[in-house]
Amino acid sequence: MRPENYQPVEHPASHEYELYFGPNHPGIEGNYALKVRLTGDEIVGIKADGGYLHRGFEKIMEDRLWIQNVALVPRICVPDPPPMEETYARAVEMIGGLEVPERAQWIRAMILEMSRICGHLFIVGGTAATIGQYSNMFWGITDRDYLLDLFEALTGARIYHMFITPGGVRRDIPDGFLDKLSHILDYLEARLPEYDDLFFNNPVFHKRAEGIGVITQEQALAWGVTGPNLRACGLALDVRRDDPYLIYDQLAFDIPTETSGDVLARTMVRRSELIESIKILRQIVQRLPQIKGPIRCDLPNPLAWNLPEGDAYARTEAQKGELAFYAVSTGGSKPWRVHVRGPSSMHAVQVLEKLCLGGRIEDIALIMFSLDACPPEVDR
Amino acid sequence: MTTNIPIKSDPNTDIACRTPDMEERSLLRKVIDRIADRCRSRSLFILHYCTGCGAIELPPVITSRFDSERLGIQPMVTPRQADILLITGYLSVKTLKRVILTYEQMSAPKYVIGMGSCTINGGMYWHSYATIKRLQEYMPVDMYIAGCMPRPEAIQQGFLQLIDNIDKGQAIAWQDYYYQYDKYLGNQQALFGPDWHTPTDVIAEARHYELFSENTIGEHTALLAKFASKYVTLQCEELVK
Repeated sequence: MRPENYQPVEHPASHEYELYFGPNHPGIEGNYALKVRLTGDEIVGIKADGGYLHRGFEKIMEDRLWIQNVALVPRICVPDPPPMEETYARAVEMIGGLEVPERAQWIRAMILEMSRICGHLFIVGGTAATIGQYSNMFWGITDRDYLLDLFEALTGARIYHMFITPGGVRRDIPDGFLDKLSHILDYLEARLPEYDDLFFNNPVFHKRAEGIGVITQEQALAWGVTGPNLRACGLALDVRRDDPYLIYDQLAFDIPTETSGDVLARTMVRRSELIESIKILRQIVQRLPQIKGPIRCDLPNPLAWNLPEGDAYARTEAQKGELAFYAVSTGGSKPWRVHVRGPSSMHAVQVLEKLCLGGRIEDIALIMFSLDACPPEVDR
Repeated sequence: MTTNIPIKSDPNTDIACRTPDMEERSLLRKVIDRIADRCRSRSLFILHYCTGCGAIELPPVITSRFDSERLGIQPMVTPRQADILLITGYLSVKTLKRVILTYEQMSAPKYVIGMGSCTINGGMYWHSYATIKRLQEYMPVDMYIAGCMPRPEAIQQGFLQLIDNIDKGQAIAWQDYYYQYDKYLGNQQALFGPDWHTPTDVIAEARHYELFSENTIGEHTALLAKFASKYVTLQCEELVK
């Protein structure tokens, strides 16, 4: 597409040409663009061009009440909204000094892990689609829909649940929900060998993905890489383990790692995390019925709710990486400032630019999907 | 081999060369349009341009669970071959420029679906400084699907309604862009500045489709002569009504 204020420029004879990759392009994840300079099909320069999805979240949030922002925050990251709600709610609880009842903490952890499976199925399918294996994308999206149905039974919405509020959750789980959940977990576990045969052990995928987009450990730490992308470099760093929130310290789970740091390693880490999330959810299904009590602590009138003066930094291991909210209150009914530290803004801009350099044009989409960058969260 | 033999024909006797009179032509056009509309409604391509968060519900719609392909609807990657421009949610000003360029590249008849509350009145982002609030000020919209986000069933229902409208010949909002071009261009200029223009010569297209009305040109199109003279065929004095 012709950029705005386009003026044709006379260049000296060269083998290089410039290509606008996106925003209207099937190989790009969401509404995002890259300006690529190429020689043949080799990338010699790449520049990320974001801002297509900018909504000014951090400014909008200053205009709304603390409780109104609960409806706004999940919209920051579309494929994986519950960690946004959880992190914002936790920041508000830290400022306000609210105690979350134990039952609510377990329900929250359940929602976060369900959302992690949804996101991983979605992005693994997307990675497969970029190299032409569309069956896996169809499977992933269909299996994700089973979990979305559960979300609907629990919260009333498929995508934006707005279920986690400061002080707890909105409702208790409906009758028979845990049975349904454990049935779906059985189904997903039974499906995993089929995914292995189709995609994870597929030699076509291995040949395409091995050695593409390699991040070393030093680079990963210097560039601010987090989440599965960091664990694919061999560093077992996970906020759930290192800085436990909710009830994650009571759960047994492994932190899967790979060593090579390429596209294949990142995809394999996601595959292992699917298994770990299923493991965590099974423990929650087992223990949640024994935990009784309220699901929400007492809140004042939310329309006249003034938080005390203070600030808080809350962080969560979202499906895409480390997510953090920094909220500042000056004692009013609205936040004075809220800052969002999203994982994708590092992955989609600085990491993607550096990984694509020297690669080939057909690998851009593969690298972008394997980094699991989420453009709505980059632009916010 | 090129043949330069002049063909002799008499317009009064030769049927192929006879120009039908106005009434006959309009009747013929109605019949052809009816057949074309029926065919069009059976095979529609959505442009694969995910402009906002609504794009997350599109994969379920087009893949195996809800499967919009049984309605004859499939994603298409290029605007020139697409029929439906699906605006999936909020539009920031930067995206709107690309959407307008894309919309003008699509060949008529083209249909716009505004999906999600954000395209109707701004939705969640009603006081955001970065997004537009009402899509229909910048391009004619055939249908809105309300909700944030709309369920896949709602999107399917919207597609069915659009198919029905196309079949009945009622989905003619795209003609409004040519009839009222001055109004739409004015709204776009209010947002992007007076030098806003696209490489598409919409006025010439309006003449080509015989959709030229007195509102096609006006005070806003007059600025095109100043800033986009290489794209528009009309001269400066003609662009002002």
